[in-house]
Amino acid sequence: MRNGILIFCCWISTFCAFAQTTTGKYVAFLACPIVRDSKAMPCWLAEKDGTTYYLGQQGSSASAFYPPQLKHQVLVEGFIQDPQKTSCGGIVIDPIVISVMPELDVACTTLLPAEDGLEPPAPVPFPKYEPFSDDTKEFQILYDFDSDYLTLHKTRIAGEAVRVAKIQQPARIEIHAYRGKSKLSDGTILEEKLAMVHRRAEKMFDVFVGLDISKEKIKVIEHEKALGGKGEGDYLNRKLVIKLYK
Amino acid sequence: MLVSSLAFLLSISEKKDLSWIEPSSDQVLPELITYPNSYGKLEILNADGPVQLKNHPFFEPIGSNGRACVSCHQPSNAMSVSVENLQKRWEETHGKDPVFAAVDGSNNPKLPQELKSSHSLLLNRGLFRIGLSWPPKPDNGVPVKPEFTIEVVSDPTGANSDPDFGLKGKEPSISVYRRPRVVGNMKYVMSPDPRFNIKTGTLAVTDPETGLVVGMNMMADSRHYTQKAQAIDAYHGHLQGHTFLTPSEQKQIVDFENQLYLAQSHDPWGSPLVENGKPEGLGAKAMKEGKVHVLANNNRDPIFHWFKTWENPETMSKDLTKEQKEFRQSVARGNDIFMFRPFWINDVTHINSIGLANPLRRTCSTCHNGQMTAQDIAPGWVDLGTTNYPNWTENRIFNQKTDLPVFKCTCSPSADPHPYLGRVVYTTDPGRALISGKCKDIGSIVMQQFRGLAARAPYFANGSAKNLMEVVDYYDRRFNMKLADQEKKDLVNFLSSL
Repeated sequence: MRNGILIFCCWISTFCAFAQTTTGKYVAFLACPIVRDSKAMPCWLAEKDGTTYYLGQQGSSASAFYPPQLKHQVLVEGFIQDPQKTSCGGIVIDPIVISVMPELDVACTTLLPAEDGLEPPAPVPFPKYEPFSDDTKEFQILYDFDSDYLTLHKTRIAGEAVRVAKIQQPARIEIHAYRGKSKLSDGTILEEKLAMVHRRAEKMFDVFVGLDISKEKIKVIEHEKALGGKGEGDYLNRKLVIKLYK
Repeated sequence: MLVSSLAFLLSISEKKDLSWIEPSSDQVLPELITYPNSYGKLEILNADGPVQLKNHPFFEPIGSNGRACVSCHQPSNAMSVSVENLQKRWEETHGKDPVFAAVDGSNNPKLPQELKSSHSLLLNRGLFRIGLSWPPKPDNGVPVKPEFTIEVVSDPTGANSDPDFGLKGKEPSISVYRRPRVVGNMKYVMSPDPRFNIKTGTLAVTDPETGLVVGMNMMADSRHYTQKAQAIDAYHGHLQGHTFLTPSEQKQIVDFENQLYLAQSHDPWGSPLVENGKPEGLGAKAMKEGKVHVLANNNRDPIFHWFKTWENPETMSKDLTKEQKEFRQSVARGNDIFMFRPFWINDVTHINSIGLANPLRRTCSTCHNGQMTAQDIAPGWVDLGTTNYPNWTENRIFNQKTDLPVFKCTCSPSADPHPYLGRVVYTTDPGRALISGKCKDIGSIVMQQFRGLAARAPYFANGSAKNLMEVVDYYDRRFNMKLADQEKKDLVNFLSSL
């Protein structure tokens, strides 16, 4: 399966890697995550239909990969480049996007002890942050499924958008909020809550106004129709786009 | 030279008559004063010099109930108040001290105030009643629509069922019971994080007067962000002031708080903890001179710096006894456990839930990450589990029973649920959620600084840990740390020396 995803604004390495990938088998599924201890960092796995996958390893809030949470299912979307390539006992999915599903699932409790030979790879370096160009016109923020939480990485994009807006002094700023659908490998379609659109938009509006951008300049457009649901690239529809107009 | 030395010596005093400061006391709080406690001595440093208590608004009964700020923030108790001191005060005054004022120094203001049992939460747990409007008042000017409903399941004090001020009263409010927080080392407590709040992913709040970002670690529920706002609220609430706090009084209170540093200074045998500037993280002088807002959960420059001179008896003073040297080695080991002993941190809202994984294999210092105080340098409200079922802190060592109210919080289907307890949560204190209205905040309490612990038992916001061993025991149980008895003692000794 080929991935022809392109995104116009590529800032965080995880998403850059995902966007630029053109090979591999796309997989998307919901499962209970599994954490396995190791001599290095704990690694995170998920088992689906008898196959164990490696998702990533524990890091910090500055890491590109935010691990799953026990007591919650995880939505996994990504590519298997080589079914023989394993880490921590699971087939590596890379690039990968995961979402912690908000509702509690008390069945998700598996914590495995460390085992010799089952180690995560060397940690992925923290994403490098370059300031956006002062003439940037569009900024995009991607979200976890059914989430409006702005992680450290996402707040940096929001902060950059405000910084650039203050330089450009646009006549109008549009905040476009979207929600998405995700098609799982078994054909199931997951659709984000309608409320996500408003919540994402409202939070970003508050950021702009709180950072002294005149609310009269800001137009919020809430796109209620859930986009995607086709498989590859579904994660790109859980988004918010900020546009600056002269 | 001689005169100034004498003056300095006089300023370092240990006055018994300052062990409980009554409002309107005509005394002087020296520049440096030590107070004995069961682990040694606590040191209070007034960086701006001796403080004349008479006519100072922190020490005067400026409200209507005879209380002053000092009533609940006693220097001898590290600017909080201990159960031991409260019980002693009850006996000495037959319950007439204004610290026992009906408004919040009793379980319920309508109970017979002359009865000791009416003040059991204060006398047994050191808890004051905090009545909070429900639904919440606007948070930083922003209207709050609660994401959950709240019911009273159990109301042993009767305050939450009261027809006037109970949850269904004429002026609906929720009564929770909390320990008074330490007023000292405020430059650390108040230091702001960057522009975004990493816990919420929203903009950090700002001081409406200055527009500057503020820290949110002062109060248990972070309902006030500035010392001035807290002082005004305390004047009307705790002190039952009926007029207003003048700008001059506000400034005097805040200035006093900001120049005050405190830390444990002596070991249980009476010897100073700090010799020749080592260990560099102990004592009030270190608190005065330390840098603020340093993320120190690392092995480069740890939370309380290093205890290297205490790791080996040969590098300690020859004047110390064997027991004193063993104590210092134990403290150093306790610091190592605190800093570097990994365990699984699980189900802690605003730690595990912000992208760090659940569970997270890290150390105590991961959450207690701010240098010198071990508070979170980010806004530090977390649901450690002390208030929410099933982890609420029933004191196992001393077998205390719950004498706190129990609430049932039911989250709206459209809200994000509490990340580890779901949509129905039973709690003795909803914590930050009573201010934010957020379901995910139910049970989250702002973590406290570690300084002066030896002087201010009991611990946790609900006073459920009677002593430091009970604190350590709670963490051991809660996170299955598998601490050996000696390791628990090491942690207790470490905490007692801060």
